[in-house]
Amino acid sequence: MSTPAIEIHDLVHRYGRAEALHGLSLTVEPGQCYGFFGRNGSGKTTTIKCLLNLLRPASGSVRVFGMDPRRSEAEVKARLAYVPDFVAFYPWMSIREALDYQASFRERWNRGAEESLLKQFQLDPTAPTSGLSKGQRTQLALIGAIAAEPEMLVLDEPTSGLDPLVRREFIQTIIGAYQDAAPGKRTVFVSTHLITEFEGLIDRFTVLDQGRAVLTADADEARSKFRRLRARFEGDAPTENEFKAAKSFKRDGRSVELIVNGNGDELLAKLRGLKPLEVTTESLTLEEIFMASVR
Amino acid sequence: MLVHLNFKSGVPVYLQIVAQVKDSAASGALRPGDPLPSVRALAEELRVNRNTIAKAYAELETQGVLELRQGSGCFLKANGTSPLRRAVRSERLATELDSVIVQAHHLQIGDDELRALLEERLTDFRERQRQRAEN
Repeated sequence: MSTPAIEIHDLVHRYGRAEALHGLSLTVEPGQCYGFFGRNGSGKTTTIKCLLNLLRPASGSVRVFGMDPRRSEAEVKARLAYVPDFVAFYPWMSIREALDYQASFRERWNRGAEESLLKQFQLDPTAPTSGLSKGQRTQLALIGAIAAEPEMLVLDEPTSGLDPLVRREFIQTIIGAYQDAAPGKRTVFVSTHLITEFEGLIDRFTVLDQGRAVLTADADEARSKFRRLRARFEGDAPTENEFKAAKSFKRDGRSVELIVNGNGDELLAKLRGLKPLEVTTESLTLEEIFMASVR
Repeated sequence: MLVHLNFKSGVPVYLQIVAQVKDSAASGALRPGDPLPSVRALAEELRVNRNTIAKAYAELETQGVLELRQGSGCFLKANGTSPLRRAVRSERLATELDSVIVQAHHLQIGDDELRALLEERLTDFRERQRQRAEN
């Protein structure tokens, strides 16, 4: 096994007396596109800050590329690029100057990638950064992150400031351009609560709820376990008591809707045994799985 | 090549791609020697991670459907070049047929109806194959 890109074990962090993370553990393998899903305030940004030594955890361990970010901060930061949810540039710099400034800290800088992304996002290099919208600031920060060709991209809510119409295409372009240059080696760790845009991109994910990991799974595995079963009956539909094993149960006169996690086949057989007029089954999307996992 | 993904089917995304490439190959929409889109191009088109496409292509290569030529991409192999022995191949198909039979039972489709349906689908498939060959 190669060294995990991120390894978090039993992480606890407190802000004053309020506990933000209660024993979080997760492992991100190199080359994965890893989703970190949670509502606002669930502890996503706190976790990311611990990865970058921007916060010191109360207890637990954090390893990035096998190193402790508290001891090897410079090396960890040299090998990854972090795009925070709110990006600030020196307001007197133009886009060109802001990129050159970032490049001066980096060992590598891919001019070709930088240029083609500037074109794609229609950013004028001579424009001052002070006039950029929130979405454009994120785009500029992402261009800088990709041009540096790091081993890992750490993205915190990268799509939250963007127009819903461009979100999906944009994130696809960014992650595609980044991973394509060195397939299987480049890791993406992305925190978001806007999950739909990432449906096809995520290999594996963790759902964070109130500082705890409530679900960690491969995207395909999660989609095959979490299913929605619907059945329609000639007479009255069965009641919740008969389907306590379901994750959720809704009944409306003659029809029922169940959300199941892993025990779908068993509950499907049980439904069929009750001779319904019709049964349908479909997988949940990652966003629906997220919503079913948090309270 | 047209690939359509359904995230609600519960079938792993890479296996959906595998199934659809095999379908295109069987029906003649893709012919031996035809190039497949690059991993990146297909990833962008389908809006999925490139890892998923790479996994699908690797699976198709193991099954003898595709051939990876260093530096020039992926190509469809000629049929009849499956690396698996005949016995293994029929066993795989038998497993698939078993699940169809189970489905038929639950949908209350009788044996005769099932046989007729198989016949009908086969005719339909051969017809599509014939039409492709003419074009």
